Amino acid sequence: MIWLTWRQFRAQTIVTAAFLAVLAVALLVTGLNLAHLYNASGLATCHGSSCGTFASNFISEVKGGLSEKVFYAGIYIVYAAPAIIGMFWGAPLIAREIEAGTFRLAWNQSVSRSRWVVVKLGLIGLAAMVTAELLALLTSWWASPVYQAASAARSDSLSIARIAPPLFGAQGVAPIGYAAFAFTLGVTAGLLIRRTIPAMAVTLAGFALVQIAWPNWVRPHLMSPVRESAPFSIGRLDEVMIGNGNQMIVGDTASKPGAWILTNQAVKPDGQPFTGPPTHACLSQGMQACNASIARLHLRQVIAYQPASRFWSFQLYETAIFLVLAVALAAFCAWWIRHRRLT
Amino acid sequence: MMWLTWRQFRPQAIAAAAVLAVLAAVLLVSGLSLAHLYTTTGIPACHAHHDCESLASGFLMHARSGSYDRLHGIAAAIVLLAPAVIGMFWGAPLITREIETGTFRLAWNQSVSRYRWIGVKLGLIGLASMAAAAVASLMVTWWAAPINRAVVLAGSASPTTVNRFTPAAFAASGIVPVGYAAFAFALGVTAGVLVRRTVPAMAVTLAAFAAVQLAWPNWIRPHLIAPVHAVLALGKVSLGGFGDGPGNSLFLAVGSKGDGWILSSHAANAAGQVISRVPGGCSTQTGGPGAFLACLARNGVRAAVTYQPGSRYWTFQWYETAIFLVLAAVLATFCYWRVSRRALA
Repeated sequence: MIWLTWRQFRAQTIVTAAFLAVLAVALLVTGLNLAHLYNASGLATCHGSSCGTFASNFISEVKGGLSEKVFYAGIYIVYAAPAIIGMFWGAPLIAREIEAGTFRLAWNQSVSRSRWVVVKLGLIGLAAMVTAELLALLTSWWASPVYQAASAARSDSLSIARIAPPLFGAQGVAPIGYAAFAFTLGVTAGLLIRRTIPAMAVTLAGFALVQIAWPNWVRPHLMSPVRESAPFSIGRLDEVMIGNGNQMIVGDTASKPGAWILTNQAVKPDGQPFTGPPTHACLSQGMQACNASIARLHLRQVIAYQPASRFWSFQLYETAIFLVLAVALAAFCAWWIRHRRLT
Repeated sequence: MMWLTWRQFRPQAIAAAAVLAVLAAVLLVSGLSLAHLYTTTGIPACHAHHDCESLASGFLMHARSGSYDRLHGIAAAIVLLAPAVIGMFWGAPLITREIETGTFRLAWNQSVSRYRWIGVKLGLIGLASMAAAAVASLMVTWWAAPINRAVVLAGSASPTTVNRFTPAAFAASGIVPVGYAAFAFALGVTAGVLVRRTVPAMAVTLAAFAAVQLAWPNWIRPHLIAPVHAVLALGKVSLGGFGDGPGNSLFLAVGSKGDGWILSSHAANAAGQVISRVPGGCSTQTGGPGAFLACLARNGVRAAVTYQPGSRYWTFQWYETAIFLVLAAVLATFCYWRVSRRALA
């Protein structure tokens, strides 16, 4: 059965291995270039305050160059991998056997239905998880100089929050959970729909929905965010917007480098969000008078955020949740195959 | 033949229409509120008060935070991915399903010629692909219109270096998605005709289209029209970053050039030659960034930038759409020739 699974899966393995090899070479070449840039920037040997400047220069140099494109391409690949695995490995796994009727031949050998499905799910599920984690490790290794520079820069505008959405799912161990989930989602879709192409479409749509909904509406609440309130500071003011209808919106930068900022609001002394009316000085006088008038409003800045230190807790939570979902889907598939007719 | 094509394509058409309807509803609600925000900010009347820059940058700052930015990202991703999905799910199975199940034999034994069979299939579903992409792109373009106008008005005060000309946004708005969809669909059919098995053909389509989409904005689009080189005084340009590195090396990058697309930038002298060393006496360590910049300007340092001006946006859109439509026509002709002249199975 192991041999059969391998034999049926050989083409996919070769394609994946070839892709990983090409990607590894490309990342190695551009990664050495990036490491050279990092050393030339002086970050590796700097002390004290000059590190901040060197780091800002390094990041500005990375932005706009080839390195930035590779950085984002790496993230896209890690995000796309589970979806592709679910579509091309998961969905056809059972659906192809049903369409071609080949499962009958397998079941007429000395292989039990349970063994047939467990070996298929187990081996290829394992391959899915290994592939996703290899991709995440490769791209994270490549990007490590950028992350080091971002933490050395100590500036809000350059900070890179690894715990915030675009980056979080492409690092650490979370891709293992996504890959296992996407694969079992594909197998389940194939088993229930019984036709390969519609099952692939459903897998893609289902996984895309989860990946959109999860970071926006579920992940922020896995742990209750830290809430902080501080006097509104004119020094950190970065947004003043005056609208018609007596509206005025002001905002401070949230000075939490590396944190995932969920909300950032200016509130009045009574605790209500400040939305106007605009001060007289802001309507008719210069910027300094406007700023001074904002200071006299005695606003407070209220932020809710997930601190950078929770990165690994979130990683472990999220991986565990998706692995549990994957195991549940796999158990459902095994039960269905044992107890229901396939055609 | 028209009826058969429609009947075989019905589930796909319904699924696409459903996705477009949901997207339209969400974008309509959010787009009206964004347009309302644009009006209440006072931007339409800003020329009279000479405060366009600050109002527009305030509006951009607001649009960048919160749910607008998130929705823009999701909607743009859908438009970017639509051609790939069309190529995989509409293009690749078009012929391979017929080969795998042998149903083409039945069709060819009716009063339908091979030419008609493949011609109608390619034409109708190709048109449907282009229409779906056009509708999706139109909705996102309409949604983002206030943001694009504000980027132009904000000028160098713009808080963002992203505009409709930068690669991700360029490919997800205007008319280029129509070209991509036609190309991806024809690519899928071609992969199907050559590979003859559905799932591998879908994988080939995805890989080939992703490779084209990766290579195109990086290596081909910048050269469709020769870019503009400009050497600008430091006070007249919006800088993305500057500073001094180890060994007195000078670093300087331009952040934005109106609504143009910046290809590269560096510090230069008046003749445009690269300056790689900080002129004597200037250092961020002694006077802070402001004094550093003033010192650079006193020493004749300027910013050299290579870019495609924002006024070329529509020229690039038409060029690129035309190129991909021609590629699609070439692939479709190949499929037509191959299916009508060679044995399918």
